[in-house]
Amino acid sequence: MSLFTLALRNLFRAKRRVVLSSAAIVVGVFYLIIGQSFIGGMNESIVRSAEDGLTGHLLLRPADYPKFGAAYPVDVLLTLTPDARTLLAGEATAWTERQIFSVTASSSGDSLRLRGIGYDPVRDPSVFSRQVWEVDGVIPETAEQGVLLTSGAARLLELKAGDSVVLQARTHKGAINALEVPIAGLVTTTNMAIDRTSVYVPQALTRDLIRSELPSHIGVKLAHRDEAFGFGDRLLAAQGSTAEVLTWFDETKDLLRMQEIRSKALNMLVAVLMLMSSLAIANTILMAAHERTREIGTLRAMGMTKARVLALFLTEGGLMGVGAGLLGAVLGGGGAYYLSLNPVNLANFAGNGMGDQLQFSSWLYGEFSWPIVLIPVLVSIVVAVLASIYPARVASKMVVAEAVRAE
Amino acid sequence: MSICELRGVSKTYGSGAVEVHAVRNVSLSIEVGEFTAFVGPSGSGKTTLLNQVGCLDTPSAGEVLIQGRGTGDLGDKQLAALRASEIGFIFQSFNLIPVLTASENVELALSLAGESGGKQRAVELLDQVGLEGLANRRPNQLSGGQQQRVAIARALVKKPSLVIADEPTANLDSANGEAVLDLMRQLNQDLGVTFLFSTHDPMVMKHATRIVTLHDGEVVSDERKET
Repeated sequence: MSLFTLALRNLFRAKRRVVLSSAAIVVGVFYLIIGQSFIGGMNESIVRSAEDGLTGHLLLRPADYPKFGAAYPVDVLLTLTPDARTLLAGEATAWTERQIFSVTASSSGDSLRLRGIGYDPVRDPSVFSRQVWEVDGVIPETAEQGVLLTSGAARLLELKAGDSVVLQARTHKGAINALEVPIAGLVTTTNMAIDRTSVYVPQALTRDLIRSELPSHIGVKLAHRDEAFGFGDRLLAAQGSTAEVLTWFDETKDLLRMQEIRSKALNMLVAVLMLMSSLAIANTILMAAHERTREIGTLRAMGMTKARVLALFLTEGGLMGVGAGLLGAVLGGGGAYYLSLNPVNLANFAGNGMGDQLQFSSWLYGEFSWPIVLIPVLVSIVVAVLASIYPARVASKMVVAEAVRAE
Repeated sequence: MSICELRGVSKTYGSGAVEVHAVRNVSLSIEVGEFTAFVGPSGSGKTTLLNQVGCLDTPSAGEVLIQGRGTGDLGDKQLAALRASEIGFIFQSFNLIPVLTASENVELALSLAGESGGKQRAVELLDQVGLEGLANRRPNQLSGGQQQRVAIARALVKKPSLVIADEPTANLDSANGEAVLDLMRQLNQDLGVTFLFSTHDPMVMKHATRIVTLHDGEVVSDERKET
C-alpha cells in the first residue's frame, strides 16, 4: 500500500470539499493560461504588424526623422552610399525603397489627411508581407493604375475601387502638387496603424507627386529578426550620420513594455487567486487532519513515522494541486489552442476608434505553447503543497496516545 | 522470558495544582505467551499503562524495556520501527482505515513493518480469523465483530512479540465479544503470541492467564492463573 494510493483515496472521501477548495486553482490556472496566451499572441501581433507594416526587420531613414505624429517630411531624402548598398545586397534577405509622405486625399468635397506609402511594386512584398491583406480590386503596379486605398480611409471618404481621388502632397522641394488618380483597389491590411490612415501609391506615381526618385525609407528583411540589432549598427556605419536606423524592437518596445506591465498585472491577479486557493486548500487539509485524528494515531501506532504522516498530507495537497492544475490546463490550454487557430477581431470589441496610431493587427491570435500551459500547472502544484505544509505538520505532531482514542 | 518490562514507571499529566498521577511507580514484567489483563475501574491507569508498554507515550519517570531494550532514548523513527515490527494494537473502536479494504488494512501493517508479499499473507490471515471472502470489503461493509477480526489480523500479520488490546470487546455484543476473545485466546495458544489487555469485561478476565489490578495508578494485585 503506497503513500500515493492512500493519499489519493483519502482525497476521494470528501470529493465535494476537495472540488470546492480546488476551484480557485482551476480558475487561476485557466485565467493565467488564457491571459498569457492573449498577451503572447498580442506581443507577436505587435512585432509582426511592425515587421509587415511600416518597419520591416529594420528601417533606414533620414537622421532626425520625426518620431511621433503624422508628419512625414520628404525634404530630406536618402541616398544610399556604395558601402550601404553592398551591405544590403550581401546580407539582407530583401530590401526595398519606400517614400513615406503626407498626402491629402479629397473626393466630393471631403478631405482626409493620410500617410502616403510609395512602394516598389516588385520588391516591396518581399520585405513587407501581404499575407493577411484583403484586397478589393487590384494592387496597382504602374502610375496609370492609380492607388491602393486603405479600406478605413475609403469608408470615411465614401469611395470604392474604380472611383477616383485627388491626392495633394508637397514635393521634396516644398511645392504643392496634386493629381487625380484612379483607385485600383481597397486594402484591409489588418494593421490598425495603416488601415484608416494610409494610401499605397506605386513608386512611379509617388515620384510624380513628390518629384524625386530618392527614397525616404529603406525597409530591410533579414533571415531572423534578432539579426536586426547587429546589422543595423553596420548599416548605419556604412551609411554615415545622415541616416538613422529603426529596428522592429525600437518601434515596438513601448508597446511591449506595456504588455509586460499587463502581464505582471495578470500574474498579480492570479497570485491573489492562488493565495485564496492556498487558504482554501490549507483549510481543507487541516479539516481532514482533525477529522482523521484517530486514523493518524492508528497509523502512527502501527509504525508510521512523523515524516511519513507529513508526506501523506503533503501528497494529498499536491494531488489537489495536480488535479486542479490539470483541469485548469485542459480548459485554458484548450481555449488557448482554439484561439491560436481562431483569432478574435478586437475591432468588434473596441469599435472604430481603436488604435489608429498603434501598429498591431485587430485580429488577435492566442499563443499556444507548452510552457504557457505547463508552468501554471507546476505553480498550482507548488502552491497546493506549500498550503499543505502547516496542516501536515499539525497532523504529524499529534500525540499518538491521544490520537488513537480520539472520537 | 520477558517481552516487556516496566521499571518504576510513573506518568503524570499537568503540573502544579492540576497535576494528575495517572500511573505511579509501576514495575512488572510481561512474559512470553502470557494472556494478561489490566483491570480496574475507570481512571485507574489501565490505558495509560498500555500506552507506556506500547511505546505510544513516554513515562514521566521510570523505564520501559521491550525485549530487554530500553525505549527511553529512542527517537521517533526508532520508536515507530519498534511499534511496526514488535507490537500489534487492537483498539476498542477497531480503528480500521476506512478507505482501505480489509486485506489492505492488514497489508498496510506489513508494509509499515517493511515486509513484502502482503496481499497473500493478508488474505490467509483474514481466512484464519474467520473472514473468508470478505477481504475486499471496506470497514463500513463489515459488522463490528468482523471489523475487530480484521483489526486482530492486522495486529498479528507482522508476527509481533506483543499484541496490546485496549478494551477489545467493549464495542461488541456478547456473542461477538466471546467469539473475538476465543479467537485471540486460540491465537495465543496456537501461535504463542503474547496478549496484553485492558478491560472491564468479566469475560476477558475469565480468559486471562494473568490479571493485573490497578487502582489510582498503582498495581494493587497481580495474579497468575493456572492454565
